[in-house]
Amino acid sequence: MDMDKNGDEIKILVIEDDPVITEFLSTGLKYEGYKVTSRNAGRAGLEALQDGVFDLVILDVMLPDIDGFEVCRKIRSRGPDIPVLMLTVKREISDRVKGLDSGADDYLTKPFSFDELLARIRALLRRSGKMRKDKRLQAGGLVLDLETRQVTRNGKMINLTPTEFSLLELFMRHPRMVFTRETILNRVLGYDHDGGTNIIDVHISHLRNKLGDRPPHLIRTIYGTGYAFYPEGKGV
Amino acid sequence: MKAWERLSLRARLSLLYAFLLIFSVVLVGGYSYWNIWQLFISTKSSHLRARAKPVIEHWLIDNGFDKLDVPGLKLNARNALALAQDLTSRDAAAVILDGKGRVIANGRRLPEEPEAPLPQGRYVQRALSGENEVTYRSLVNGRPVLVMLIPLRPRPGSSHIFGVIQMSTSLSDINEILFRHGAMLVSLVAVILILGTGAGFWLVGLSLQDLKDLVTGCNRISRGEFSQRVPVKNPRDEIGQLAVSFNQMVDKLEAGFASQQRFVANAAHELMTPLTGLRGSLEVLMRGAQDDPAAAARLTKGMFREVNRLIRLCERLLALSRLQNAENVHKEPVVLSRFLDDFIQQAKVLAGKHPVSIQQGPYVRIEADPDLLKQILLNLLSNAFRYSPGDSPVVMGWKLLPQGVEIWVSDQGKGMDKKTLSHVFEPFYQGKSSHRASGDRGIGLGLSLVKSMVEAQGGSVSIQSQPGRGTRVSVTLPLA
Repeated sequence: MDMDKNGDEIKILVIEDDPVITEFLSTGLKYEGYKVTSRNAGRAGLEALQDGVFDLVILDVMLPDIDGFEVCRKIRSRGPDIPVLMLTVKREISDRVKGLDSGADDYLTKPFSFDELLARIRALLRRSGKMRKDKRLQAGGLVLDLETRQVTRNGKMINLTPTEFSLLELFMRHPRMVFTRETILNRVLGYDHDGGTNIIDVHISHLRNKLGDRPPHLIRTIYGTGYAFYPEGKGV
Repeated sequence: MKAWERLSLRARLSLLYAFLLIFSVVLVGGYSYWNIWQLFISTKSSHLRARAKPVIEHWLIDNGFDKLDVPGLKLNARNALALAQDLTSRDAAAVILDGKGRVIANGRRLPEEPEAPLPQGRYVQRALSGENEVTYRSLVNGRPVLVMLIPLRPRPGSSHIFGVIQMSTSLSDINEILFRHGAMLVSLVAVILILGTGAGFWLVGLSLQDLKDLVTGCNRISRGEFSQRVPVKNPRDEIGQLAVSFNQMVDKLEAGFASQQRFVANAAHELMTPLTGLRGSLEVLMRGAQDDPAAAARLTKGMFREVNRLIRLCERLLALSRLQNAENVHKEPVVLSRFLDDFIQQAKVLAGKHPVSIQQGPYVRIEADPDLLKQILLNLLSNAFRYSPGDSPVVMGWKLLPQGVEIWVSDQGKGMDKKTLSHVFEPFYQGKSSHRASGDRGIGLGLSLVKSMVEAQGGSVSIQSQPGRGTRVSVTLPLA
């Protein structure tokens, strides 16, 4: 779960009129631990901003009532220093300049990669100070240093392959979340990885060996489904 | 011929010009040469005749021949010699021939007097048979002479010819003059040729300069600089007119090119939105949403909708491009009232709560493609349904116009402002208020497709609208 400094959920407002794009944005972002509110028009979006507190706005340029540039200028004129990420189909430099000039903090052209969107959201949140810079992940006696990519358990250094490191990072970022083998395959080895999901079982077994992970496992097998990470060593 | 075609237009025109010059100079020169020659010859011969005539007449009288106008007269050598000597002078030689063509006297006595040429039998025969004055040219010691044969008669008009006088005079002087004349002509031809060809080359180059500028301009444009225009020096001459029409053509080309670019860019943008939905939904599914049945169902439903939208968009684009080809339009006579009755039954399925009605017009048969007509009207009706409140009526009907039949569809919907109205037939244009309303959105191709379909059938389409009052679209098609 991505929390802000105070441990609260990070709230994102999506202003986008295409229902399918809104749907995948809110589903995907909720999955990443953000709290998502969506509006399908410029005025509705501005009203939502007045009523609630948000940490970030994802704003489509082509809106049915007032366009995204105008919405952005209104957000800026009202004062709140909230990061705005603009989405548009237009690729011309002049459009990007117009977007950034109207007050947007970043600009993404459709169709975009969801991973890139997430990375940009994290960058914007860090810059605005809403999210601490993740340097290390800690849980269950494990410490993951994301910069040096070193792993220790109870102070003891553990050597991991890049795949094993990504696997452990995925689990530690989402404690107690159950991942199917298919999802782990997609997120760790990439969307276009060919071959069966058995490879995941192999990697998990290697990782458990290296971590000295004995039952009850930190990385627990959920029968018929996949795997989940339990830092407290209890549960199910 | 090949070599001729390889030459530049300028060289070809200059060469033609030079040939024309040579031809006319040679024609004029040759004619004047021949004329002068004729003049000289006739002067010479009349001179000879004038000299000979009185001498001969005196001689005839002196010898009493004029009283003896009978056949069988004979010349004696003494008489003939006297005549020959009388006729001979410094510039004329004289020889007398008898009735059988034999030379019986030669008048030459002094060395400075010219020599006479040998008589030529066929000319002598002509003179003996009565031809009064036989003139021909001959050579004496390689020098040209004019020879004149005069038949001897006892008196003028008599048919009894008893001899022939052969007079001859040198043509060297004439040849000298003519040679000089000819030399002058040749040098004149040369001078005219050089000056004329040079001037022609220069003149042709001058008038071809505009053409050259045109070629340069065309080359620039063909390299893709569509903003370039060729210079128009004189819009009244042929090259100026060519430049003007060429520029007009490039104007059209530039506009067409720009509109095509706009069309492609718009089409690509329009493809991008559903692709964004598809890609994002797939990515979110793969990142784990596939494990949550409820989220997976929502995402796949959305993806299905986006794919359908892409298909619809591609179908419209294909339909637009098909209409560019006249072979895809199959016109036939259509009885409008019957056609609309059938059509309205199918259209009611789409109408929802909208009451749809037909205002009957006169019985007419139009020339139209029934499939296209159906698509046109379906498009117009679905626009009317989409942009008017759920239960407001939509009416269609037709009336006779001088230029054909106007079929109209009218609604009481939200209408359009002037700005939207002026762009409404442009591909991918969507007015602000129509812009993607709550999931059910147009692609922005409907009306431009309608326009293409109507025009492919030789008709026209117009639209009237008032914001808040409603819209009326009129399609005019030719009568059968």
